[in-house]
Amino acid sequence: MILIGENLNVIIKKIGTAMKEKDPRPIQEMAIAEASAGVDYIDINLGPARKGGGELMEWIVKTVQEVVDTPLYLDTINAEAIEAGLRAYKNKKGKAVINSIMARPESMEAKFPLAQKYDAGVVALLWGPSGLPRDANERGVLAAELMQKAMEYGIPNEDIWIDPIITPITSPQSQVQVPGCIEFMKMFKDLQEIAPGIKSTCGLSNVSNGAPNHLRPILNQTYLVMLERYGMSSAIIDAFDEDLKTFAKGKREDLKKLIFRVMDKDQIDLKSLSKEEADYVKTTKILMGQILYSDSWLQM
Amino acid sequence: MAFQIPQITYSGKIKEVTLGKGPKAVTIGGENSYPFHLFEGEMAHPPRIAMEVYDAPPEDWPETALEPFSDVVHDPVAWAKKCIESYGADLVALQLVSTDPNGLNRPSEEAAETAKKVASSIDVPLIVWGSANADKDGDVLRKVAEVCDGMNLIIGPVVEGNYKQVGAGAIGYRHTAIASSPIDINLAKQLNILLGNLGIPDGQILVDPTTGGLGYGIEYTYSVMERDRMAALTQQDERLQFPIICNMAKEVWKTKEAKASAEEAPALGDPRRRGILMEAMTAVVLLLAGADILVMRHPEAIKMVREMISDLMAK
Repeated sequence: MILIGENLNVIIKKIGTAMKEKDPRPIQEMAIAEASAGVDYIDINLGPARKGGGELMEWIVKTVQEVVDTPLYLDTINAEAIEAGLRAYKNKKGKAVINSIMARPESMEAKFPLAQKYDAGVVALLWGPSGLPRDANERGVLAAELMQKAMEYGIPNEDIWIDPIITPITSPQSQVQVPGCIEFMKMFKDLQEIAPGIKSTCGLSNVSNGAPNHLRPILNQTYLVMLERYGMSSAIIDAFDEDLKTFAKGKREDLKKLIFRVMDKDQIDLKSLSKEEADYVKTTKILMGQILYSDSWLQM
Repeated sequence: MAFQIPQITYSGKIKEVTLGKGPKAVTIGGENSYPFHLFEGEMAHPPRIAMEVYDAPPEDWPETALEPFSDVVHDPVAWAKKCIESYGADLVALQLVSTDPNGLNRPSEEAAETAKKVASSIDVPLIVWGSANADKDGDVLRKVAEVCDGMNLIIGPVVEGNYKQVGAGAIGYRHTAIASSPIDINLAKQLNILLGNLGIPDGQILVDPTTGGLGYGIEYTYSVMERDRMAALTQQDERLQFPIICNMAKEVWKTKEAKASAEEAPALGDPRRRGILMEAMTAVVLLLAGADILVMRHPEAIKMVREMISDLMAK
């Protein structure tokens, strides 16, 4: 599993302030900390960055590359900021990745040429002209469209990162959307046969958005295992979440097997399990849409 | 080959809840299929209609709604009796609007006395509905529970902000609690779990999904109720297997379409029929989504809906 650190984000107060004041220290410290924590990419999230986005992205890319060689995800809607970042970027240990291109004409036409011109990777976000896809099939259609466009611009398969869009388990549509993402990942396996080398990525922690803070880790960990089963190749995560990294590195084979059994609808007797195992079984059932989410799901 | 009607396989059942005391006690719930899917399962008890009584004379009701009760609006006891004797109400729903801190702000003790007076003078089950101000209801409903000890009233709305206070009253003085959530299936389930953890027996819980009137968000309520029943009946979601109550009349009769006179809205037709039909239509929609109790207002709308229920229940 390739890990992308999410901590250089404008919404984190210390980082947001440093971005505003162009103060390199907090940004460089965070970049070094993320690289030391072992992430494979660092995501630089400017938010919408409507005003002065170009100048800001260029400055951050240079500032970060002064201290680390880790490749970067450039995360903003602003195409001009993306281009400024790509222009300043030096490929030391891998290509920069544009995060993201949506399956909407204006987004594809603005950003695919940049990927071609600067030899960058692209996150192909499955967000279409009418917004969030309703199910796995609609996700499939958008993925095909993005792949087709990427091909027209000569983007190699291994530079395409499909993002199926993870939605919160606490939202009204979660019983359809959260398993829908898993369903799409089954299709993704077929897409890999058509386009060998194609990658995928996801904003993992969104699945637990709105859940009580102390219960977010088990949702994130379980969902990661479920997505990875069908070929999810990377995740944007908190670089300092050691427990999640343990899962990402495949060190909890015991729980992984159990999660797979729930996904395969094996009948599992909760009484035969430890508390930890039972919690992962219950969480998998919630994420599979077999049980309706409530904040007290682990107590049921 | 003969045509086979596709059938849904159910794995759950709505719990039965008995409301009130004595010969006029009412049992609801017990369904093991979707509403009126009598070709697939059973509705052990038909849905019931509770008639509204207000604890203060209504000030903003249109003439059509007021007319049947104009002789009793100053006296909740007489009003409740009229509902039962003249219109055959199975249940009465006392709306304690006068306790609203943003309105008349009547003290909890006074409201509790009114509730006791009404409850003591009727033989059908009594629903007592607060002002939907979580803090004030915490106090009002707690006192209602206490002075009406053992009468098995139905009290609500119980929300996340006051469930401990009101829930303790329901347990201690043996009443049924109405678990109320803001048109959100996950929050509905969560509150039912919390009430269970507090110790309220399953046979003393009803669910209020929060109701919008026809044309004012009823589709959201419909969808949440539908999801509730799907989880309860096909996913064995034990914490959603409770009967549903919809406090709908006040939502219908406050709308512009129900209130506007013939002069104000000539294109909308006869205002009397219009209001009554809007109430009846709202009721039918909620019944089809899975309501077990409807809180209604106009006798003619109620009559129509009763006929509808008996038609749909006929084998």
